[in-house]
Amino acid sequence: METTDIIELSLPFKPEYVSIARLTSSAVASRIGFDIETVEDIKVAVSEVCTKYIKKGSNCANHYKLIFKVFKDCLEISFDCQDKTLKCIFSQEDDGLAISIINALMDEVKLCSEDENYLLNMSKKLEGKV
Amino acid sequence: MSEDLVIKNECLNDKVIVILSGEADIYTSSQLKDKLYELIDKNKTDIIIDCNELSYIDSTGLGVFAGALKKAGQYNKSIYIRGLKSNIKKLFTITGLDRLFIIEE
Repeated sequence: METTDIIELSLPFKPEYVSIARLTSSAVASRIGFDIETVEDIKVAVSEVCTKYIKKGSNCANHYKLIFKVFKDCLEISFDCQDKTLKCIFSQEDDGLAISIINALMDEVKLCSEDENYLLNMSKKLEGKV
Repeated sequence: MSEDLVIKNECLNDKVIVILSGEADIYTSSQLKDKLYELIDKNKTDIIIDCNELSYIDSTGLGVFAGALKKAGQYNKSIYIRGLKSNIKKLFTITGLDRLFIIEE
């Protein structure tokens, strides 16, 4: 897939900044043509991931990063951090609600990214613009 | 940075109405938890949570609702939720919480 644009956002591990992730994800999703309901879905899923990282926190990193990759027919959102101990931290026992929400709202979710450059990947297809 | 959560409460007959406006997320959920638990312990009545002005809730906020329901159950009381916006109702359905609460339109 050919990436057209990449937008990155770096946030501190602080609850008061999760709304920035929501606003940014809404803006990006809306900008590339998702309908209002899907924009809301993407926003909610992104926020759940940010919330998990903040709850977990980090001893060696101050920020975590959101990377929005805009493809012709898809939006892919990846998360990264210098602290790689944040990889694969979702557990069904502790995060059942969050996992249900993320999986239901996004088309593809990899809570443990197969890409060593990222902690987690998720994507949403842009219906009707393929 | 985060939109505040405003919590108001009033009494109606033998119930307490909790009116939420704003966002219930990781930033505001402790405030929500403290207030709901306080009202349940103090009044020992059914609680109606009015969500007409609630614009957003995440799993943290939903977890507070679930905890409050458990607490109300200790007094054999229930929690009614009314005025859910469609985006929030969707999250109740996804998580199965719609089957635990009494949800009013």
